[in-house]
Amino acid sequence: MKIATVSIIGEGELADRLKEFLNKANLKVVATGLKADYAKQVESDLVIELALEDLAAKKKIFKVCDAKCYKETILATTSSNPWVTQLAVATKRPEKVVGLNFTKNPFEDKYLVQVVRGLQTSDETVQAAKDLITNIGMTAVKLEETPGFILDRVIASIVNEAAVMYSSKLASKEDIDKMMKVCVNWPMGPFEFADNMGVDRVVEVLDLMTQELGPKYQPCFLLRKMVDAGWLGKKTGRGFYIYS
Amino acid sequence: MEIKKIAVLGAGVMGHGIAQVCAQAGYEVNLHDIKDEFVQSGIGKIKKFVGGSVEKQRMTQAEADATLGRIKGMTDLKEAVKDVDLVIEAIVEDINIKKEMYKELDQLCRPNTIFASNTSAQSITEMAMVTKRPDKFIGMHWFNPAQLMRGVEVVVHEKTSKETRDTIVDLCKKLGKEPGVCQDSPGFVVNRLLQIWYNEGLNMYDEGIAEPQDIDTAYKVGCNFRMGPFELRDLVGMDIGYASTTTHYRELMREQFRPPRCLIMKVKAGDLGRKTGKGFYEYK
Repeated sequence: MKIATVSIIGEGELADRLKEFLNKANLKVVATGLKADYAKQVESDLVIELALEDLAAKKKIFKVCDAKCYKETILATTSSNPWVTQLAVATKRPEKVVGLNFTKNPFEDKYLVQVVRGLQTSDETVQAAKDLITNIGMTAVKLEETPGFILDRVIASIVNEAAVMYSSKLASKEDIDKMMKVCVNWPMGPFEFADNMGVDRVVEVLDLMTQELGPKYQPCFLLRKMVDAGWLGKKTGRGFYIYS
Repeated sequence: MEIKKIAVLGAGVMGHGIAQVCAQAGYEVNLHDIKDEFVQSGIGKIKKFVGGSVEKQRMTQAEADATLGRIKGMTDLKEAVKDVDLVIEAIVEDINIKKEMYKELDQLCRPNTIFASNTSAQSITEMAMVTKRPDKFIGMHWFNPAQLMRGVEVVVHEKTSKETRDTIVDLCKKLGKEPGVCQDSPGFVVNRLLQIWYNEGLNMYDEGIAEPQDIDTAYKVGCNFRMGPFELRDLVGMDIGYASTTTHYRELMREQFRPPRCLIMKVKAGDLGRKTGKGFYEYK
């Protein structure tokens, strides 16, 4: 299936950028915004939902879209949470529900899109979504629904181990970050990753991984204390480092 | 304490590079190995490297000659270490062979000579305790290729003196390297964190979450890692990776370090990576 018309439900930087990318690839964006006329979505081949991370609210949107859209329309959620299967069951087209999680590269103006397959998502839906992403000049990777997807899962795991090492006073946080950069060419050290991603998000992903995948992902206590103290990273001015 | 003369033990992959970096920075270096052919092979590689640097105009011919002039190859251990301020040991990664070597060095060297081991896998503490100078024993973990990689892990154990630590940190800087200090612990900092980076990628494949290519792409495009975990496993070699992960698992005794099933199966199948033409990917 070829996607020509897209609806974006949601507002903000990502919605704006997405519109830019879609327009540049000569795709028609027919409706935007959370309060947009849902009726317009009948015209689109793909609806991308960018609402806040609230499962109940997202389910409501998916129900409305399911009722209003052509039966062929693909419904995509940009959620960072593994909710594709749960959102799919809120519709009568579970095979046409897919995850499209956008991550902006921290160094360059480029996007990684994790195309997330829920339990009932069809191969055709995954392929159509992947093709669209490639078509608009972003990089797509396919994965099964899992906590943290690929990227947050690996970063949360690295941060957690680094926090264990730092807590046990194996080395200073500055030296740990520096070593990973100068010894094995990492783009950032683990604590810089943590401050960028948000320490609260790291803990959230680790908690979810612990719940779904087992106790080895249990967050280091230091990370929880940092969340309690409000040291969440760049966004609060202090995480492992202080930002002014 | 000021370092003037250095003995590098082991002229292999790491040893020859370390010797070159020290000589380039102006230190007198005795490069030792157990057989003359190993010593000559190491010196040959250094000649080739500095020759290349001259060609690329990163070094003058005079600098290259001076560097080579400061390196003396030798097979007599006593001769190699008798008047040096520092021994950098880069011999085979076998704890028993290393311990025997340190017992001997303890007898052959001056009492104030510092011992620095380039080990990536053995306990600094365990080696230090076979000598009568644990305060002068330290880890100096270099990365391959030593000539190009900027970082050096400086590994201290409980009895390493502040003076020894400061001397080695200072030496690293004089060699143009970036030192980072850490306590002796399995895998130190870099390899331990790297295991998590590898394992989490490989675990996702084991769990059926995604294919190697998608996981590698996510690492690279999502946050600019130069290679993904599957590509790097193929490059380094599955057997080496398996041994390293297993050592971390055994020493740290935590589930995070358990070797992933796909890695074990690749080793069993003999698909060791680039060197066999096939690993997680195929090479022609």
